[in-house]
Amino acid sequence: MGGGAPGGFGRSAAPGLPFAGIPSELQDGVDRLLQSEPEYPEPDLVFTQNGTEMEGRSLTLWRLLMEYPGMLALAGLLVVVIAVVSQAGPKLTEIAINASVGSHKSFVLVAIMAAAYLVSIVATALSQRAQVRVTGRIAAWVMNDLRITIFTHLQRLSLGFFTEEKAGVIMSRMTSDIENLQQLLQDGLSQLAIQGLTMVVITVVLFTTNVELAAITVFLIIPVLVVASIWFKRASERGYDRVRDGIANVLADLSESLHGVRIVTAHNRQRQNVIHHRNVVGAYRDANNYTAHVNAVYGPGTQMLGVLGQAALLAIGGEMVLHHTLSVGALFAFFLYLNRFFQPIQLLVQQYNTYQQGQSSVTKLRALLETKPTVTESRDAVELPPIDGEIVFDDVSFGYDPDVPVIEHVDIRIAPGETVAFVGPTGAGKSTLAKLVTRFYDPTSGRVLIDGHDLRDVTMLSLRRQLGVVPQEPFLFAGTIGENIAFARPDASDAEIHEAVERVGLGEVIERTPNGIDTVVHERGQTLSSGERQLIALGRAFLTRPRVLVLDEATSNLDLQSETMIEAALDVLLENRTAILIAHRLSTAMRADRIVVVDEGRVVEVGSHAELVARGGRYAEMYATWISQVDAHAEPSNTHRA
Amino acid sequence: MKLPTRKRAATDEQGTDFVPMTEKARYEAPRATIDPDRSKSWLRRALPVMRAHKVVFIISMVLTFVGLVLQVQIPNLLNHAITNSIQSHTVPLSYYVWWIVGLAVAGGIAGYISRLFLFETAYNFEYDLRNIIYEHLTKMSFAFYDRVQSGQLISRANSDIRSVQMYMTFAPLILVQCSIAVVAFGFMLSINVPLAFVAMATMPLVFFVGVRMRRSMFPVSWIIQARLAEVATVVDENVNGVRVVKSFAAEEQQLRNLSRATDRVQWGYIKDADIRARFTPAVQNLPQVGLALVLLFGGYMVIHGHLGIGAILAFNSYLLMLQAPFMMLGMLIMMGQRAAASADRIYEILDEQPTVIDKPDAIDLTESRGDVRFTDVRFAYGGEDENPVLADFNLHLAPGETVALVGRTGAGKSTVSRLLTRFYDVNSGSVRIDDHDIRDLTMDSLRANIGIVLDEPFLFSVSVRDNIAYGKPDASFDEIEAAARAAGAHEFITGLEDGYDTVVGERGYTLSGGQRQRIAIARTLLVNPPILVLDDATSAIDVQVELEIHAGLRVLMEGRTTLIIAHRLSTISLADRVVLLDQRRIVADGTHAELLETTPLYGEVLAQAVDDLEPDVEEGLASTNGTSMGNGNGNGHGTDAGLPDPVGSARSTGGNL
Repeated sequence: MGGGAPGGFGRSAAPGLPFAGIPSELQDGVDRLLQSEPEYPEPDLVFTQNGTEMEGRSLTLWRLLMEYPGMLALAGLLVVVIAVVSQAGPKLTEIAINASVGSHKSFVLVAIMAAAYLVSIVATALSQRAQVRVTGRIAAWVMNDLRITIFTHLQRLSLGFFTEEKAGVIMSRMTSDIENLQQLLQDGLSQLAIQGLTMVVITVVLFTTNVELAAITVFLIIPVLVVASIWFKRASERGYDRVRDGIANVLADLSESLHGVRIVTAHNRQRQNVIHHRNVVGAYRDANNYTAHVNAVYGPGTQMLGVLGQAALLAIGGEMVLHHTLSVGALFAFFLYLNRFFQPIQLLVQQYNTYQQGQSSVTKLRALLETKPTVTESRDAVELPPIDGEIVFDDVSFGYDPDVPVIEHVDIRIAPGETVAFVGPTGAGKSTLAKLVTRFYDPTSGRVLIDGHDLRDVTMLSLRRQLGVVPQEPFLFAGTIGENIAFARPDASDAEIHEAVERVGLGEVIERTPNGIDTVVHERGQTLSSGERQLIALGRAFLTRPRVLVLDEATSNLDLQSETMIEAALDVLLENRTAILIAHRLSTAMRADRIVVVDEGRVVEVGSHAELVARGGRYAEMYATWISQVDAHAEPSNTHRA
Repeated sequence: MKLPTRKRAATDEQGTDFVPMTEKARYEAPRATIDPDRSKSWLRRALPVMRAHKVVFIISMVLTFVGLVLQVQIPNLLNHAITNSIQSHTVPLSYYVWWIVGLAVAGGIAGYISRLFLFETAYNFEYDLRNIIYEHLTKMSFAFYDRVQSGQLISRANSDIRSVQMYMTFAPLILVQCSIAVVAFGFMLSINVPLAFVAMATMPLVFFVGVRMRRSMFPVSWIIQARLAEVATVVDENVNGVRVVKSFAAEEQQLRNLSRATDRVQWGYIKDADIRARFTPAVQNLPQVGLALVLLFGGYMVIHGHLGIGAILAFNSYLLMLQAPFMMLGMLIMMGQRAAASADRIYEILDEQPTVIDKPDAIDLTESRGDVRFTDVRFAYGGEDENPVLADFNLHLAPGETVALVGRTGAGKSTVSRLLTRFYDVNSGSVRIDDHDIRDLTMDSLRANIGIVLDEPFLFSVSVRDNIAYGKPDASFDEIEAAARAAGAHEFITGLEDGYDTVVGERGYTLSGGQRQRIAIARTLLVNPPILVLDDATSAIDVQVELEIHAGLRVLMEGRTTLIIAHRLSTISLADRVVLLDQRRIVADGTHAELLETTPLYGEVLAQAVDDLEPDVEEGLASTNGTSMGNGNGNGHGTDAGLPDPVGSARSTGGNL
């Protein structure tokens, strides 16, 4: 289709900038890792319109984890072992110190304690190793379950949900919101447990060593530390909110400047934009500097607190040693445990942020799972038997918002094999009628019947398998042209695909592509012209050999040459099939057996082209306007088009 | 005809005669830029920017060092306190206690200031880098934007800047902290030489294991990132292609697609856990082995009287102090590699030079008469060696004349307007305004004299009022309203929720394609320039509405030179003269009636136009920048709803091929 398609293959591969792929220094490591990857069995997931797995139960972290009770118990056990065994060192040191000073010096005891220390270190390391492996697996499995559950639910949701909700929001549920949980599940929860338990263990040990000193230490330091940590948590949350807003504004400003670069240039706004960007980046810097201040207070502050605690311990504990109410070894143990006390609190603060983020993700995901599809399959839905293709609108009314009807009391009968065109102004409800046939929506009142079956009484799979829909914007998936054609029938043979290609007139297009049918479609087919994309969509519909075809303005985005090709393809496609054409162009509508004129949600006229023109009503008016446009300045083209 | 040859003296902070500035700079300009010498290493190229913040940075480094030295004293003081006050009673305990308190406070203050200053250096560096890149981007020519995807630029502006910034600021910090290891080791040596070596025995291992760990982790995290992107792709397709998936009942197949992708992610995460399981326990516990060894050998020495008992406590503290820097040293090496790669990606942008620039002796074009002349123009987007879009192109627009440029889709009509505004420079020949080659004029003055309404009605996510005032930010509200009225936009704007203050664009209220075009027209009309270019400016506007706009346009075109690029006859009817572009040059020139009579091609082109009202996306330019933002709501609701429009103008404005 050459000349009329400037966006074709010629300029497809914009060279862009290098450095986009895999960093070379990683290549070897990646290759080596991938060699150890097993082949996966083909997934055998079954999709049903009415879910069972999460239904009725709302999503919580605990419920997700409880899918793996054995592993979870093992993880719990390891957490306890780590928290206890890793704190053995200072206690062993205490015994060894007491054995090396005072009256009963014993190197044997020191050596035994040192050996026990080594054993405890090895035991800690081994249990940490096991814990990382166990929690890593639980996390990976739970995340996988969650992705499948959410995705399955998304697939069940009705079209209305996808039109109302921004695509970006839905995307972030499936990506960043789920990924937020990764850190929490693989490490966060176990760390929360370990650090919490560690503090308990240390407190217990301190109190068993010396109640008085333990009480002083614990009640002197912990309240200050807790207050500082709470302040830090609040302040840093506020700070990071500002930082997030800041960077979002910076990137939005940058992105707008890039996308609107022609307008910016045409209006000489570069210099002002530089100032504006500086102000946006400056606000972002201010937010960053605020978090810097918070961190600079908390980090060195807790460190100072630790040292002050040591000073207090030295003053009080030292006096106690001098008065022989405490052993030197015990004082050592206090010093060593004091050092270890600060780490868990700082880690807890960090992990708590992860935990909160995770919880807010869970809340959002739960809300998504609780969104019910508006179009559902009834429990006793039956398979729609192979149809002849009779479509009946029986007193159908519908509104996206039930209070605002888009379609009112429509009665139409379309005979098997008949081609009917819906015409009318934008917003009249043409496309809505088509969406009721595919059951993207259910009528508010009245019935839509195919071969006498109410659509609500049959399974969606059996219904949609017998329908072919070609939307206005042909959507291409990542993959080859062949895979896109075989989208609805991945099992189609090469011969079948080839036939579809030939019949819809894609042959010539494919010959011009570098790898023929195996050419990979980039960026949703942006490298193909809209006509070429539309032909692929037609091929896709052809391959399924539907009994009923719905073409939603499928020819409206095309240049003349493409349209000629597509009209030829349509002739093949429409043969012996019931078809609904949503038409913008009267030239498309004219080829239908009957034309239905829709305006303001009602059918105003029905009849063949000739009948309607003769009737002198609404259609005749539209036709006259169109003809005058053509005649006025396209006189010579009639010969050209013939 | 005299033109003042005033040299432009404006700085970035001020407006010029042609560019009023309404926004005040609240923050300083970057004080330095990246060293342009490409032969230097990436670090040395970044130094000038770093040097601009050297005072704060050096203070931070010095105080970090001071703080660490103070910190190192404490275990030693504890050692002395236990030996001298508790065991031998030679010094009162309170002496050491107060020393430690003093050091703690001094260390805290030094720590606060050094940390704060360090972070501030980091954020100043980032601030400079972001502004340097942005300013550079505003200077780039369109040939650059044709070639580069904005997504790539944004990701570089996001993660790459961060990674360079992290390295530039944390590398010195980690190095200072590691230098403290030397001091601490010195203290340990001063207490007991053999024990110092025993204590440090496992530290090199911590470092090596840390390096190996990161080396093993990077490939796996890269794999995970890539596979998460695969999952995102499947999801994205199912969200955006939901109609196709549903209409072919392909849910199960898509679910299996997703499952295939998530299986691969799952494998990545388990691999990641296994690698971490191998290294993390070692890195965390190796320093503890040093503690056990110190206990064994130290205990032996204490029993035999070679060592004071406090030394064991001191060694314990030192080892804990050293654990972190040794672990971070490994991290530093990996950060360096990443930063180098990121810096390369950033410099790649900064090293691009604009090809369309002001000559050093460029003059200002003031109050153009509007005499526009293309002489023997040859132009190809890819440069001289490529197939030209225009060749031997000649066109003259007399002052005050309105000319319609007509041609097939892809004939190069929009290219003509892009050459006139110097979005690109011609390969040969010349474009002259008032007999000045436009390459001899300042771009500011040139573009201030030309108002262009582009075929892509891109709006910014600011209020309608600010969008209309985009080219004249100091316009009064009356002027804005007048422009909106002339463009037929006033009526629907007042119908919006907040009227002229309604925020449009991605995150705001979305408008139909026709509404966007009318705002775009108002935006240009407000500037009121002597030369006007309407590049398919009304393609998505309903024919009836367009006729109303024409009344406004006619008044404004009075006395101006106007170039109209159009498909519709109704638009062409605004012109005094029609020229037909075909085969890279003007092939016919005359009135509409003359051309219909003499040139069959003209009729053909118009016929195509009747059926094909698709926005003119010539030469694929619009698609290279991923202009989806500008066409956000273009899915079949292109025109104003409710008006019967059988010819088919009601369609997507987003004709991205």
